[in-house]
Amino acid sequence: MQAVSDEQLIQWVANGDASCLGTLFERHHRAVYQFCLQMTRNPGYAEDVAQDVFLKVLKAAKGFRNDGTFKGWMFNIARNATYDYLRQVKRHGDPQSPDDYPEALHVDECTAEQSAEGQQRMSNLIRALASLPAHFQEVIWLGRFEFDSFEELAQALDCKQGTARVRMHRAMKQLNLAFTDINGAPFDA
Amino acid sequence: MPDKKPTSLPFDSDEPADHKLWSALGELSRGEPSDRLRRRFYSGLHEAGRRPWTQRLGQWLGLQAGGWVTAAACLLLGFGFAQVIDRPTAETLKLVAIEETMVRLQRELILDRLQDASASTRLKGVVDASEVVAHDPQVARALLDRAAQDASLSVRSAAIDALGSQLGSGEIGAELMRLLQGAQSPIVQLALVDLVLRNGDGEQIRQLQSLADSGALHPDLVRHVNNALRSQSI
Repeated sequence: MQAVSDEQLIQWVANGDASCLGTLFERHHRAVYQFCLQMTRNPGYAEDVAQDVFLKVLKAAKGFRNDGTFKGWMFNIARNATYDYLRQVKRHGDPQSPDDYPEALHVDECTAEQSAEGQQRMSNLIRALASLPAHFQEVIWLGRFEFDSFEELAQALDCKQGTARVRMHRAMKQLNLAFTDINGAPFDA
Repeated sequence: MPDKKPTSLPFDSDEPADHKLWSALGELSRGEPSDRLRRRFYSGLHEAGRRPWTQRLGQWLGLQAGGWVTAAACLLLGFGFAQVIDRPTAETLKLVAIEETMVRLQRELILDRLQDASASTRLKGVVDASEVVAHDPQVARALLDRAAQDASLSVRSAAIDALGSQLGSGEIGAELMRLLQGAQSPIVQLALVDLVLRNGDGEQIRQLQSLADSGALHPDLVRHVNNALRSQSI
């Protein structure tokens, strides 16, 4: 259990105690970075965007309302910052875009116990996830790793709960199709 | 540090393959940020956390208690010494003013470009507008005008694309759906159809399906819509 809730901390930040943002940073910076990494596929850019997210949290602290969780609100800021980045890349191109980055990121960390076949399947899953449009990647990533309820996921996605469920459903269908296409067989074959 | 466990989000699907994928996703490793992120953050926080000179002076003089006397004393002291001891604050205020002016000029530039006689300039205006549309209702309205009535189909399509993030916001979303119902050009229809397929909620998807069924869309687009919706519902 956390001694002080995120929501209390962000209220203190809003009241002028910026140092409380350090605690929020320590609690959440890995998750924000990992989300940004999934979306940008570049560790350097992911750190830039993550840094930007926490500065935006500081600037927007007074706008936090207690009708949702801090985490949902923060990830809403994170996805907007990520989309800003992706729009810039779309406009200007990305000179450092590592096309095979997702694989390098995850597969190097596969455990030795995993079979070669298992590693290949996980590698294909990573490729399939990376091939999805950003709005599908984000719902899968946030739903799988960050939020335990559709209510909070919907807050992060800035939509209604029903919409979040539909998006998740569609995203998983697309992931299944993409995986089958890359792998040559469905995941459960 | 080990990865955090996957969430317990209640994902439900009739397909066993979806559940296996869902389970496999939870096994993915995730990257770790470097120390550089922490260093940069705390450096930025240190700068942002510096209190204004009036507060520092108040603390130095032992005038932390509330009340109008204290406030007035700080104000008078601050006013008297501001020119001498606080040039950085004056500079900060100037910077804030410059920043506000820049934002205003940027908006005016975008609005001007969106009204320009040249289609390529209007297109550039649309690209610039797409970066601020989420925070600026005036720009969003101007983009909507371009989407509805620009003489160039390229500008209309680009404006529609730029409004993508606004489809879920009540007024703009409703206007875009009205545009879809009245659009005659297949190119404009395509831009709107893709927008709805990408960002539409359940009701908007239903409206799109209804339009496709009624024959109001170009026949190629009807096939496109049906294929897209079929692949999403598989």
